Amino acid sequence: MELLNAFAVSLQSVWADSGFSAFTVGNGIMILVGLLLLYMAIVKEFEPLLLGPIAFGCVLANFPRTGFFTEPGLMQAIHYGIANEIFPPLIFLGIGAMTDFGPLLARPVTLLLGAAAQIGVFVALIGAMLLGFNVQEAGAIGIIGGADGPTAIYLSIQMAPHLLGAIAVAAYSYMSLVPLIQPPIMKLLTSQKEREVAMEQLRPVTKFERVCFPIVAAIVISLLLPPIASLLGCLMLGNLFRESGVMDRLSDTAQNSLCNIVTIFLATGTGMTMNADDFLVPQTLMIIGLGLVAFIAGTAGGVLFGKIMCRVSGWKINPLIGSAGVSAVPMAARVSQVVGMKAKPGNYLLMHAMGPNVAGVIGTAVAAGTMLAMLK
Amino acid sequence: MSHPVTTNPLIIMLINMTVVFLVLTVLGLIINLIHIIDPTKPKQEKQEEAAPAEPAAASVESVPAAETAGAEEGISPEVVAVIAAAIASYGYGIEQVRAIRPLPRDAWKNSGRAQMANRG
Repeated sequence: MELLNAFAVSLQSVWADSGFSAFTVGNGIMILVGLLLLYMAIVKEFEPLLLGPIAFGCVLANFPRTGFFTEPGLMQAIHYGIANEIFPPLIFLGIGAMTDFGPLLARPVTLLLGAAAQIGVFVALIGAMLLGFNVQEAGAIGIIGGADGPTAIYLSIQMAPHLLGAIAVAAYSYMSLVPLIQPPIMKLLTSQKEREVAMEQLRPVTKFERVCFPIVAAIVISLLLPPIASLLGCLMLGNLFRESGVMDRLSDTAQNSLCNIVTIFLATGTGMTMNADDFLVPQTLMIIGLGLVAFIAGTAGGVLFGKIMCRVSGWKINPLIGSAGVSAVPMAARVSQVVGMKAKPGNYLLMHAMGPNVAGVIGTAVAAGTMLAMLK
Repeated sequence: MSHPVTTNPLIIMLINMTVVFLVLTVLGLIINLIHIIDPTKPKQEKQEEAAPAEPAAASVESVPAAETAGAEEGISPEVVAVIAAAIASYGYGIEQVRAIRPLPRDAWKNSGRAQMANRG
C-alpha cells in the first residue's frame, strides 16, 4: 500500500511539474501555427532557411515551464542577442559580403527608386495609427513594407518589442510571397509599351569605385543617422570584405558560416517570441493585414516613380525595375526580370533591377534610422 | 523612452520620405564624385566624357554606313562591327579607324609557317 501511495505521489508530482498541467488552449493553437509555418517552409519552400527556424522557435516557445527566458542557458543567450540588437547587424555583415553594389554604382540614379518604394512603410504607418496603434508601434509595423527582415527586427526591438513576433513573421512571410504579390501590381500600373522598354548595358565599374563606396557611404550615413550606424556600418564592412580583394577569408566567413550561424539564432529567437500570450491577440491579424498593405504600396510607389523616371530619361528606364526598390534582395529583382521577360522575351532587367534592390536595403535602413530619431 | 517629435502620421511620412530621398540623393552624388575622381578609370570613359563614342557592344545593325566607308569591299558589316567592338574594348572609338583592309594573304601564310616552325 505504501508503495502504491509513493508511486501515486510521484506521478502527481511529475504531472504537476510537467508542461501538460500548465498547457493552455493558446499554446495548442500556437503550436499548430508553428506546424503550419513548418509545412510552408518545408513543403511549399517559402523562405525555408528563415521560416523553418522561426516556426520551430514558435513551437518551442509554447511549451510551458521551460524557463527559457528566466534561467541562464542557450535560449536566454539567443534572446539577449535579439533584445540587444546584436544579430541584425551581423546579418547585415553577411548581406554586405553577398551584395554586388556594381549595378547601383553604374547607374546611381536608381537610388531614387529605392527611396520611392519606402512609401509603403509610411502608408502602413498611417494605417496602423488609424487602427489604434501608438506611433512607436505603427513605425515598427510600417517597416514591414521595407521587405527587409533584419531591419524590421532591429526597429521592432527598439520601438515595440511586444510586437516582434508578429512583425517578423509578417515581414518574412510577405518576402517569400513577393513573386505572388508584386506581378499583378506591376502589370496593373504599367502599359505594354513601358514593360517592353530595353535598358542600355551598364557601364563597367572599377575596383576603385567598389572599394571607395562602402567606406565613404559608411562614414556619411553613420554621421547623418547614428541610430543605424551599426546596421549600415556592418553592411558596408561586409561589402568591403568582398570588394577589397585582400580579405577573401573574412568575406567567405561573413557570407557563409557567420551568416548561417546568426540566421539560426536570429530566426529561432524570433520564433520564440511567438508565445500565445503575445501572439494570440487581435493586433496580430491587423499587423499581418497592414504588412500586405505596406508591400502593395511599396511596390506601387517604386513602379510609379519608375514611370516618372522612364519619361524623364526619354524611355531609357523600364518602370518594372522600380518594384525592386522594396528590398527583398534578390527576389524582388528576379520578379522584375520575370515580368520584363514575359512582356518582351530577351529583355534582361535583372542587373538593372539590382540597383534599386540594394538601394531599397539602404533606403529601408535610412527610414528606420529616421523613425528611431523622431519617434523613439 | 523619450517623447516622439510628432504623432501626426502625415508629417512623419513627409519628413521621413524627404530624409530618405535626401540621403539617397547624397549617396548618388558621392557615387558620381567617386567616379569622377577615379584615377583608374578606363581611357575610353575619359573620352566619352568629352564626346560620347560608340557603345562597346555595337550591334551589327548599329554600325552606320559612314563608319564602314573606310572598309574595303568584301569586308562585311559583321566583321567591321567585331573589329569596332575589339577596338572599343581597348578604349578607342570607331571614329579613330581610318581604314580596314585585309593584309596580303602571303603574310598570313608566312606567319602561320613561322608559328608552326617555332612550335616544332
